[in-house]
Amino acid sequence: MAEQTPIIEFKSVSLAYGDTEILKGIDLSLEQGKFYTLLGPSGSGKTTILNLISGQLAATSGDILFENKRINDVPVEKRTVNTVFQDYALFPNMNVFENVAFGPSIKKMSKNDIERQVHDMLKLVKLDQYADRDISELSGGQRQRVAIARALANDPKVLLLDEPLSALDYKLRKDMQYELREIQQRLGITFVFVTHDQEEALAMSDWIFVMNDGVIQQNGTPEDIYDEPINHFVADFIGESNIVDGIMKTDYVVHFVGKDFENVDAGMRPNERVEVVLRPEDLDLTTIENGKLIVTIDDQSFRGDYYEITAIDDDGNEWQVQATNSAQVGERVGLTFDPEDIHIMRFNESEDDFDARLESYEDDDEE
Amino acid sequence: MKKAFKWSNLYLWFVFILLYLPIFFLIIYSFNAGDVMQGWDGFSLKHYAELFADTRIIEIVVNTFLIALLSSLLASILGTAGALYIYDQRNQLIKNIFLSLNNILLVSPDVIIGASFLILFTVVGFSLGFASVLLSHIAFSIPIVVLMVLPRLQEMNQSLVAAAKDLGANNWQMLSRVILPVISPGILAGFFMAFTYSLDDFAVTFFVTGNGFSTLSVEIYSRARQGVSLEINALSAMMFVVSLVLVLLYYVISTRSSKNKKRGTRLVTPATEGL
Repeated sequence: MAEQTPIIEFKSVSLAYGDTEILKGIDLSLEQGKFYTLLGPSGSGKTTILNLISGQLAATSGDILFENKRINDVPVEKRTVNTVFQDYALFPNMNVFENVAFGPSIKKMSKNDIERQVHDMLKLVKLDQYADRDISELSGGQRQRVAIARALANDPKVLLLDEPLSALDYKLRKDMQYELREIQQRLGITFVFVTHDQEEALAMSDWIFVMNDGVIQQNGTPEDIYDEPINHFVADFIGESNIVDGIMKTDYVVHFVGKDFENVDAGMRPNERVEVVLRPEDLDLTTIENGKLIVTIDDQSFRGDYYEITAIDDDGNEWQVQATNSAQVGERVGLTFDPEDIHIMRFNESEDDFDARLESYEDDDEE
Repeated sequence: MKKAFKWSNLYLWFVFILLYLPIFFLIIYSFNAGDVMQGWDGFSLKHYAELFADTRIIEIVVNTFLIALLSSLLASILGTAGALYIYDQRNQLIKNIFLSLNNILLVSPDVIIGASFLILFTVVGFSLGFASVLLSHIAFSIPIVVLMVLPRLQEMNQSLVAAAKDLGANNWQMLSRVILPVISPGILAGFFMAFTYSLDDFAVTFFVTGNGFSTLSVEIYSRARQGVSLEINALSAMMFVVSLVLVLLYYVISTRSSKNKKRGTRLVTPATEGL
């Protein structure tokens, strides 16, 4: 993501209230026409970034650029971004049409243009039959759609979405994820989506920023972040993980739970202490003879498409396994996995160092 | 169908009867053919005829309603502006000072407000009459409006303001198209409250009126001292009916506006347009 001029850029942006630092030197760069997600637990600073882009909050230090122009001092109403609020913030004194028409009417568009714009937007969110309804007559899902239509009616260059799906039930949320993605691709504008739901983030995004404690922990494609989490926080937050301490003996050999395993990571100091990540879905049950790890089944529950199994090895480490075949509680079984399923995390490695190290030994492989 | 007998209901009726008995007594005697409230001499509308022939009392009634209407209208505008200022004030100290000043005015006795206005008007050489009564009524009505509007503002979803700005509204558009319509039930309630306070105010008006200008309560008081004429009864009866109609009107408007917010909004716009 380098060639194109970014639509939004943060250059060491910080925000603090007195001694409380909310954001600590954020650098990021967003391209035109992509679906970005800011993912993190509550209090991680993800909504703060959104409010800095929209202008509801002002940065304590650092530069915020919009199409290469500094916008720190541009007031909210002059920015060409619009927001879908978490609680929708629909105007209760207006009906659906008037809500969506609010932005266009402020822009002093002609009556015909406003009507066409509102009609188009309501059609986009499949609410064209609901123009005359009062907000109080709508269901949660419909209000959500009105909020999206209202924000899009201003033709924003960037649409900000602040946990817009969190109030919807599971089925509706799934449908809306799909629809939002479709709307984004059809309009080709940049979406910045805030959520604490990692599944949502993985399903919808082109690019994810994982946030914690006011810092971007890692950013990358959903696949990168899932397969190569940079640290304990990311590994734990994105998906289910088994994380154990280990020692990287040499390149491609890691030692954990008392054994050496072949793996695909390199570029670390000899005998460096590391953390080892194994995803539950990469672990399979097998016989004791074929098992790389020997464990005792502690708990098992049926999840429809797989069995969620908790097992304990002889050192007392707990292992989460998502297996297609079932086992008996108390049974001793083997666990197996492939060398590429082992992911190694160094302590306190920065994103830049991480990327540099990956490149260094991946180049070696090619030579 | 039998309902369980409730002592609480009996008590409620007792209290209501006790409260309304003097008023009904007054109203019934307004139809008395005789000239005193002792002994019923038969039904007659002659006191009403006398009332309508009394041009001074008609003028005073008009004055009273004019004062009430103007003062509550202006107080609604000023009070709403004040509530918006207090709501928007980020400095907690200033906010509390303004709130306290507002509440002190609300609870301080009318006599003190009246007397202090009299002193003020005398010191600055303001002649007593219509203007002085209007000004003092506006002054004591503003805190009432603030009290009714402020909770509406505090209940209002904060993100509505954020959303309006986000969609490109400037401060004025945000105020006129989002905030005022949302808090309009509060402004309406404040207006009606101020209206009734002004209508039946005696103490403040008594101090600041002069030059032959009078309002109903002051006039009735001064006439009652010379012995109650049943003309006053007729007037009181009519005032009671008017108050009843106002209360019913307010009830209808407030229930309708909560059912259909748009209609309530339209009803209140004349009161807020000047803002």
